[in-house]
Amino acid sequence: MADAGAALRIDRATVAYDGTPVLQDVNAQVQPGETVALIGPNGAGKSTLIKAVLGLVPVASGTITVLDRSPVAARRDVAYVPQADTLDPEFPISVAQVVLMGRYRRVGWLRRPGRTDRHIATEALDQVGLADRAKARFGTLSGGQRQRVLLARAIAQRPRLLLLDEPFNGVDALSQDALLTAIAALKQQGAAVVISTHDLTLAHLACDTACLLNGHMYGFGPVHDVLTPDLLRATYGSQALELRGDRVIVARP
Amino acid sequence: MPWLDVAFNRALIEAVLIGVATGMLGVQVVLRRLAFFTMSMTHATFPGVVIAAVVGIDLYLGGATAGILAALAVVALSRRRGHDPSTATAVALAAGFALGVVLLSAQRGFTKDLTAYLVGSILTVTTEDLAVAAAVTTVVAAALSLGHRALLFTAFDRDGARAAGYRTTAIDLGLLLLISAVVVTAVPAVGTILTLALVVAPAGAARLWTDRIATMTAIAVSVAVASTIGGLLLSRSWDVAAGAAISLIATGCFAASMLVGPRHSLLARWLHRRHPTPDRAATSPQEIGASVVTQP
Repeated sequence: MADAGAALRIDRATVAYDGTPVLQDVNAQVQPGETVALIGPNGAGKSTLIKAVLGLVPVASGTITVLDRSPVAARRDVAYVPQADTLDPEFPISVAQVVLMGRYRRVGWLRRPGRTDRHIATEALDQVGLADRAKARFGTLSGGQRQRVLLARAIAQRPRLLLLDEPFNGVDALSQDALLTAIAALKQQGAAVVISTHDLTLAHLACDTACLLNGHMYGFGPVHDVLTPDLLRATYGSQALELRGDRVIVARP
Repeated sequence: MPWLDVAFNRALIEAVLIGVATGMLGVQVVLRRLAFFTMSMTHATFPGVVIAAVVGIDLYLGGATAGILAALAVVALSRRRGHDPSTATAVALAAGFALGVVLLSAQRGFTKDLTAYLVGSILTVTTEDLAVAAAVTTVVAAALSLGHRALLFTAFDRDGARAAGYRTTAIDLGLLLLISAVVVTAVPAVGTILTLALVVAPAGAARLWTDRIATMTAIAVSVAVASTIGGLLLSRSWDVAAGAAISLIATGCFAASMLVGPRHSLLARWLHRRHPTPDRAATSPQEIGASVVTQP
């Protein structure tokens, strides 16, 4: 295996909150330009894994290596897209200001964002199809549009690894298409993308690889090999629901 | 400087300095919903001031020490998962005030009046008080402009800011210490409750007039300075308590903005109900059409 140069390498990692293991013995490797879907029920540890890759939650045992560095050391090259509905819609901030945040860490404390930074932010907003909403207050946009703005913020950061936490939850079809197009463009440029999602159809559409999680890993590999009825039933347990013989649809709790 | 020898002129300068500091910082307090923390700081610094008075050291030093300890305690307690920070804050408020009263009552012959602490005495500020207020206002202005991007990011999206590499706990602590510094400076002049009014009311009023933080800061500072100067003039011509007059003007501005401000006010909502403008979030026809298309 060509280990060096991987965007993300997880070796027998166990992640615990306050001493209670949330995820045990996770093994995964993500190459540049690869897109991975994290699939599992609520509370399966998808968000925890993303936070561990960001270095926000410590690894209890095993290792997580991001771009051949520790998660904390790699943060500059890693972008995180939170769920839009976790942010206060009343907060007085414009769409353009949110996207410009993607440049903050490169700008530093003393300098102000320059013309290049603004240009990169405008371009990123254009990539998610919202260039005409730059001046609007973030909270006045629809849920799907807010999610696209947060993706634009991540694009403006020019990341080599992009982590998205449930980006398709409650998102309309137009915004979903815009998100998928922008993610595909990042992948084209060689960024590795990790997406946590409930939506198996979107996992098929957007991702090469799937990672099945529920406390520990139930499967990791090409989407078509991993998203099988048997493995999904094993992952979801009683929450799995079978329709028309071969399709597994998972009920959202 | 003979001009500074006049008590009213000193009070005027103190009023402007405190107005600028509370107006700027109030924006952060309102955006992060730290009004209750500010309230508790006004009381938690009390025992520090009393101890300083008893021991005979500088009152600001005593208040600032108590403020730093209280800010550290609140950050430490709210970092523990499952702990509601407002509980920790309320306990710090009650404990601080009780400790101050106990210490004060144990001192026989100690004449400093408690009501002066509650409502302040801006007309008795000294030139040293002015120097402290000028220094604190300068530090607050410098810290807020240097840290404004970090503060904006962490206030808007805490997890995102941590992921981007901002040390959010350090930023929180820095902001709480700035609040303590402003409280310690403003309390001797306008009192505990009235300091709260001057921090929260101008920024709260400003929020009702704009959706831009830069504009909000400008309005908050203007309202705070206008309140402090207006309150002083009012107290001189009508012979009423200065601190209370300042607070009444500040809270009056907030109440007026609640009634007639262009954003979120009662009038704006009433007009909106009479002439509803369609929700901009969902007007695009493609979006409404697209949302009914089922996935293949």
